[in-house]
Amino acid sequence: MEIKITTEGKETIAALIGRLDTMAAQEIAPKMDELKNVSGTLILDCSELSYISSSGLRIFLTLRKAAAEKGGKVIVRSMSNEIRSVFMMTGFMNLFEIQ
Amino acid sequence: MKNPIQYIRQSLSRKLSLWIVFFAAIIFNVALGFMFTQALKAVRQEAINRATKELDNTVLRVNSILNYVEWATNNTDWLVLRHLDAPDSMFVYSRRILQNNPYLNGCSIAFEPYYFKDRGRFFSAYSYYDDGKVQTVQEGNDSYVYFYMDWYQTAKLMDRPVWTEPFCDFNPELNNTSVIIASYCKPLKDEAGNYIGTISTDLSLDWLSETISALKPYPNSYSMMIGEGGTYFVHPDKDKLLYQTIFTETLKYPNPELSAMGHAMLRGEEGMCELQMDGVDSYVFYKPLGETGWSVAIVCPESDIFEGYLKLRHLVAFIVVIGLILMLLIFSRIVTHELKPLRSLADQTDTIAKGSFDQLLPEDNRSDEIGRLSHSFTNMQQSLVRYVEQLKETTATKASIESELKVASAIQASMLPRIFPPFPERKDIDLYASMKPAKEVGGDLFDFFLRDEKLFFCIGDVSGKGAPAAMLMAVTHSLFRAASARESDPSVIMRSINETVCLDNEANMFVTVFLGVLDLPSGRLRFCNAGHDSPLLLGSGVATLDCMPNLPIGILSEMKYTTQECGIEAGTTIFLYTDGLTEAMNIDHEQYGKDRVVERLKTCVEQKMGPRNILDTMFDGVHAFVQDADQSDDLTMLALRYTPGQFATILSDTLTLNCDVARVPELNDFIKSITERLNMDPTVAGQVQLAVEEAVVNVMSYAYPEKGKGFVTIKAMSDGHELRLVVIDSGVAFDPTSAEKADTTLSVEDRPIGGLGIFLVRELMDSINYERVDNRNILMMIKNI
Repeated sequence: MEIKITTEGKETIAALIGRLDTMAAQEIAPKMDELKNVSGTLILDCSELSYISSSGLRIFLTLRKAAAEKGGKVIVRSMSNEIRSVFMMTGFMNLFEIQ
Repeated sequence: MKNPIQYIRQSLSRKLSLWIVFFAAIIFNVALGFMFTQALKAVRQEAINRATKELDNTVLRVNSILNYVEWATNNTDWLVLRHLDAPDSMFVYSRRILQNNPYLNGCSIAFEPYYFKDRGRFFSAYSYYDDGKVQTVQEGNDSYVYFYMDWYQTAKLMDRPVWTEPFCDFNPELNNTSVIIASYCKPLKDEAGNYIGTISTDLSLDWLSETISALKPYPNSYSMMIGEGGTYFVHPDKDKLLYQTIFTETLKYPNPELSAMGHAMLRGEEGMCELQMDGVDSYVFYKPLGETGWSVAIVCPESDIFEGYLKLRHLVAFIVVIGLILMLLIFSRIVTHELKPLRSLADQTDTIAKGSFDQLLPEDNRSDEIGRLSHSFTNMQQSLVRYVEQLKETTATKASIESELKVASAIQASMLPRIFPPFPERKDIDLYASMKPAKEVGGDLFDFFLRDEKLFFCIGDVSGKGAPAAMLMAVTHSLFRAASARESDPSVIMRSINETVCLDNEANMFVTVFLGVLDLPSGRLRFCNAGHDSPLLLGSGVATLDCMPNLPIGILSEMKYTTQECGIEAGTTIFLYTDGLTEAMNIDHEQYGKDRVVERLKTCVEQKMGPRNILDTMFDGVHAFVQDADQSDDLTMLALRYTPGQFATILSDTLTLNCDVARVPELNDFIKSITERLNMDPTVAGQVQLAVEEAVVNVMSYAYPEKGKGFVTIKAMSDGHELRLVVIDSGVAFDPTSAEKADTTLSVEDRPIGGLGIFLVRELMDSINYERVDNRNILMMIKNI
């Protein structure tokens, strides 16, 4: 699991690469704490995310709640069908701005 | 014309009047009859008294006349005897007697032939009335030789004074006049006692007869007198005088009474007799007349005596008849008038009987029986009107209740599963159930549903029948569904239902329930019984499931129900029923009984019947037994056949991991290899991977209190049609199937961070199943390939 964070003006783009399973979710937890503090718009680029478990979803939701507190917003971009179906299943589609 | 009896019967007034008049007539008749009998006696006695008195008077009078004649004669004869020396003085004496005694008709002072030598052979000084003047002649001559006459001879021969039998004194010298006379003849004797002649005084019987006849006690009565031979010399029929005797008539028309009376009179007897005189019923009173040998009789016609009486009787009879007729008419009118309200009551009743209940009855202020009847009738009518109103209301209410009950019945039917077979896609269970309520709605219930490869089923029987039972049945049914939505332990479900039912059980009703949870993959049956009949197990034979009886639901809120369990072999049918089956009664109140149930089930077993056939067979059996008797209780049956298919394993693999999420990649690899070996679709394979990871991570995170300790085993099996993944751990008991389903509709703020793992497992897999066996949690996840 790899995560690449780039900043373009007010937008912070986090590209998630690989499988976000339970193990991976634990690994990336520290980086995710950084992202929680990002001000402005956070874009999660899922174009290369092949798998997500409930632990991964938990991180997504944590980020979304943190952004909501600061008045920022979280955009999920380029989901694969697999990820999209999990998002659909869990009602996450309604919680995030999907691109 | 109608039959008169019929005519009388039709009217109470006619009957009543007739009866009254009938009895009045009887009383009148008896009273009047008695009175008239007494009156008859009195009248008769009165007649006797009166006639006797008259007779006595007559006799007295006749006697006095006779005495007077005798006295007059006796007063003269001493003068005659003193002056025998002067024959001419005899004329004076004869004349004087007549002049001094107006009753006398004539007087002869006759002497023996040649008594007075100078006078020749005949000397009889005779005085008589001629044209009202007294004439005195010497009557003896050759044509009337007086001393040969009876009146002369009798006195001479008898040598004492005698009264001659009356005779017709015919004197040719006196213009051929004939007078009936009786003479008092007294012999004359000189001082030496030699008979010298006879002094005779004549009494005219016409006069006597008039005197006697003047005495008439009754208008048509008359008197008569007979002489010693029975000759009439006083009788109103002059023709009979001297020529007929009292016996003359009896010679022609024998009349013993008359003859007897004649003889009695001749004997000088006094008396009275009833007889026919000249063809007329008469009373005759008779009495002798002194020493003359004559007898006087008064004849009183009966019609005269009883004339007044008979007139009175006829008058009274007439009055009584008229009175009775008037009475009949008046009573008839009175009774008719009195019964008038009754007739109008009868007419009104007819009207009421035709259905006009509000018809007004005539008001009647009478206080007698009719008034009371009228009053009672009014009361009855009012009650009837009220009753009819109530009946209408009740009927309407009943109709509305019935229609409501029909709706309730439909609701109740819709509440219970009614689509059979219920799980057509499943080959491991075949189930059929039916409830037949005794009334529109029943107190029996059954239910079943599938959740997480477990078949939840129950059967129950609420105490009582009808609507109250149906309501508790609905409550119990709902509670069963609610309690078993996330709970798989029968005793827990039962306790939950019991606590709720006990909460407000003011009606003190209770429910017997058998609740079972059949784990379909393993065939393990967990059950809890609350006072219900033990189910029967139909395998090679018929056996009873060994159940603890326990208390029914609704009695004791803190009742500790316990779960029992047993294994159900493939092919076994579980047969549940309510007591409506075993206690079904025929018309002789004989119960169907468990023995018959078992016997019949045995034939079902022999014929390898499926649940539906078994139920049909049982219903037929009960109906044949009960026949026409009413269904006494709700009848519910449920048959469940367990036929798990053989799982022909083509793939089987196991992975055991310690509880460390770092081992998850290993798990992923394991699953990946499985899915690849089964050539599963990548999307499906991804779903399986995610589901298994979530299940295993869940165990790793929560099964063991100590982090990192303990193991989790993952078994993968497939028969080519489905993939079964079983996650086994020996940690704390945790049933993921009872977890609350995550709410995916909540907002960001409300959404909890966790709780998605189990949710995803359920969503991603086709079916999950949890069992805790031997202190191990066994979660099976099934995915169709």
